Amino acid sequence: MARFHDLEVTDIHKTIRDAVVVTLKPVTGAAEAFDFTQGQYLTFRQDFDGDELRRSYSICAGKEDGILQVGIKRVDGGAFSTWANENLNVGDTLQAMSPMGGFFTALDAGNEKNYLGFAGGSGITPVLSILKTTLAAEPNSTFTLVYANKGVNSIMFREELEDLKNINMGRFNVIHVLETDAQEIDLFTGLVTEEKCAQLFATGWIDIKSIDTAFICGPEPMMLGIAAALRTGGLDDGQIKFELFASSQPGRAKKRAVSTDAASAANQATAAITLDGSTQTVEMSKDVSILDAALGNKMDAPFACKAGVCSTCRCRVLEGEVDMVANHALEDYEVEKGYVLSCQSYPVTDNVVVDYDQ
Amino acid sequence: MAEDMSIESYLAQGGVLTNPTNVPPRYRAELMKLMATFVDSELAGAAGFADVINAGPGIKERIAAAKIVLEKTDNADRVLKIMGEFGANTDKYANHHPWTARLDRGADIGASRTEQDMRLAVFNYPLDGWSDAVVMNLLMGRAVAVQMAEFSMVSYQPLAEAFRAVAPVEARHAELAEEGIAKLAEDGEKATLQASVDYWWPRVAASFGAADSSKAESLKTMGLRKSTNAELKTRWEAETKAVLDGLGLTSG
Repeated sequence: MARFHDLEVTDIHKTIRDAVVVTLKPVTGAAEAFDFTQGQYLTFRQDFDGDELRRSYSICAGKEDGILQVGIKRVDGGAFSTWANENLNVGDTLQAMSPMGGFFTALDAGNEKNYLGFAGGSGITPVLSILKTTLAAEPNSTFTLVYANKGVNSIMFREELEDLKNINMGRFNVIHVLETDAQEIDLFTGLVTEEKCAQLFATGWIDIKSIDTAFICGPEPMMLGIAAALRTGGLDDGQIKFELFASSQPGRAKKRAVSTDAASAANQATAAITLDGSTQTVEMSKDVSILDAALGNKMDAPFACKAGVCSTCRCRVLEGEVDMVANHALEDYEVEKGYVLSCQSYPVTDNVVVDYDQ
Repeated sequence: MAEDMSIESYLAQGGVLTNPTNVPPRYRAELMKLMATFVDSELAGAAGFADVINAGPGIKERIAAAKIVLEKTDNADRVLKIMGEFGANTDKYANHHPWTARLDRGADIGASRTEQDMRLAVFNYPLDGWSDAVVMNLLMGRAVAVQMAEFSMVSYQPLAEAFRAVAPVEARHAELAEEGIAKLAEDGEKATLQASVDYWWPRVAASFGAADSSKAESLKTMGLRKSTNAELKTRWEAETKAVLDGLGLTSG
């Protein structure tokens, strides 16, 4: 079950003008929960004017670095990333869930593999973690990175990558592809598209036939183009690892979009929730599901999938009206009788009365 | 720069999603349903099979049956872990339903599910002794093979990877069943076996879902399906018929 732990910010510095690298230290007792695998990400939560936002950021540290570090690039209009870039300080506490994600392959010191990484902009963070860890753990493997950016000024971790190149001569190569800044080699200017990849393969910059595994992290069109080129180059789906952090993270699917202005005062509801024979009346936001309201008030309401699938959280609405946004479990006749999936149901009226015992 | 692409059009063009944060609500719901169906079916399948371990005629058979129970539970766990990343309470989930519960053997439920869980309808029917269990395991094992081949290509990468790992394990279960049936057929149990084939064939066939499912197109654009229910069923019928022919049995 997903749980949040406290992390202390021990260092924060800019890697480019609008991106920070944040070093985190689990507070006493939580260290074990943050043992990560290269390429994984952390999901943070933070309150903004009463609204909880959750955002995921990839770990950029290598395993052997012995630290927990994430890179956060400021997104225009992004509450969390702007806050992290402008207001976060050393000594502050952040809350995150244990590392998650499967953007990695198993490493073995005996491997002699050739890896290929593609990163677009801040998509470098998990790829950096992977390549640092791989170069350290597999002394006979090679790593080629194709790194796409707008211009020289927007290259995150540029110096760190140069250092890695020098330490791992002959095993690690970086190809910077810049959208706007001209480079000596024409091929390295423009976008990383399917055609660009095909040219990199055809001209020998990348020996696609020798590649064992490819990692791609970038915006959607870039991922599609690269994946298509890799498949044409002979890689199968099992050899291509993706990590996508959509340019427009839909955020939490908590609720249909309600403007926060309209929400502030008028958006409250009173819910009387009956569970195991006793009734508790709670004040709740209409942006919170009935289930979360019950759980948030220390009621041991039943639930399992929280996705409207398993029907464990079924309850019956006795008074008032709720909006059930998804239902994959209840039959029509049950809905007619007033049964709802509490994990998918949000108050519509100012007063609702629900019963889990019926 | 052409970076503004909606998740929907990204998926329609064969894009892959990799973590819960960028999964749109509708996609999430369909994905959870797919995962819950798999987990519930594996747990119900394992629970039902656990009861027949002791009915195995020899120690080899009992080992094979126990191995199948272990591995199906393990396969459920792999996918349940992914549900956990979406916020499902995995500990509660594994125990929220009595997985051994079955209806009557003659119950007429078609392809509908019970209200309590998402297992495929076929897993609501009880096994009737050892040879019946082996036949069910062969027919359903072949169906799982067809479904795993399909779902190994789903657009949610962690789940596609889980199914790629599960596929060979499930394929082995069907092989074990085939070996088991060959042995039972040698021992002259052909009539009993044929009766079980006749019982399970339509029920397993129904597990592929309605041929006219209206959701197929939207699932396709989300990258959650490639083939239609009818195509998968036809594939299963052809492949399984060939196996049954080899064993001297007739398909339904």
